[in-house]
Amino acid sequence: MKINVVENVLKANDAVAEANRRRLEQVHLLAVNLMSSPGSGKTTLLESTIPALGTDFPCAVLVGDLQTTRDAERLGRAAVQATQINTGKGCHLDAAQVAEGLKGLDLERLAFLFIENVGNMVCPASYDLGEHVKAVLLSVPEGDDKVAKYPVLFQGADVILLTKIDLIGVLDFDRDRVLDDISKLNTRAPIIEVSSKTGQGIDKWLAWLAEQRKQRVETLE
Amino acid sequence: MHEMSIAVQIVDQVVELAGQNNATRIDEVVVEIGLMQLVVPEALEMAFSVATESTLAEGARLKIVEQEIEAVCRDCDHRYKPRIDCYLCPQCGQANARIVAGNDIILKSVVCETEQEAQLP
Repeated sequence: MKINVVENVLKANDAVAEANRRRLEQVHLLAVNLMSSPGSGKTTLLESTIPALGTDFPCAVLVGDLQTTRDAERLGRAAVQATQINTGKGCHLDAAQVAEGLKGLDLERLAFLFIENVGNMVCPASYDLGEHVKAVLLSVPEGDDKVAKYPVLFQGADVILLTKIDLIGVLDFDRDRVLDDISKLNTRAPIIEVSSKTGQGIDKWLAWLAEQRKQRVETLE
Repeated sequence: MHEMSIAVQIVDQVVELAGQNNATRIDEVVVEIGLMQLVVPEALEMAFSVATESTLAEGARLKIVEQEIEAVCRDCDHRYKPRIDCYLCPQCGQANARIVAGNDIILKSVVCETEQEAQLP
């Protein structure tokens, strides 16, 4: 017999993601899903972001990697609640892993939750984790051709961070090419040039985060 | 790259559905996959054959149907079909697309055999 169904295969993930989002909204927490290739500076960005948000905006991090607890240890040194999620063979985080990670966090006292996804420019784009905003990073050393090569990730971004921007003078990185490629995919996301090393642009990133949380809290009240 | 986790989710749903219909064997599974999922069909077929091992769906055929990308412009509400590498709205020129199709993985149909069917001459 033939059974006709029209059922979303990702519905189990999407339902858990929606529950995560509601749980976080109850405590006025803004969740940011950070996505990029490995080595583009996600952890380093958080190391400079979290102390700068200070005691006014306490943060926690869920960090996904295939192996090791190195990132959580690094972030732990920045005096933040950081929980490592090891995905084993998994190339992306899913909503159930985030739900499990949330159990270990004291959500009531937090303003921001950063979810540092597994370094990968393909698979994380397909999985809703229950975040409110998606931040996509592209580091200057990766090269100016990456936006066109991974269009889906950049199309879905709410903000795009060009990281390690202090290296732009020493590498052949065509900024105009990147901006032109982004303009065909996403004219909604602001593009923020940052360097965690020199501190350039971090103030703009912090202002963007604060504005997103303010808007979110206002819609809930 | 996430074909294996997609395959496992498809098989879970198919096996559950087969159980509800008292199926003894699954012969064919049809899924529609959005182009934005960046799924490699051959990789999904391979992952599906691994994920179905020792289940009712072992040996089943997997048919993959492509789902085109459709978007609604957040700026002017125009509905259009963007290419995967260009989301510019043909009406207003902005790339402010809300994706309404092309990002889904949908189980469309399952062909299975039930005990009664197996007993038919």
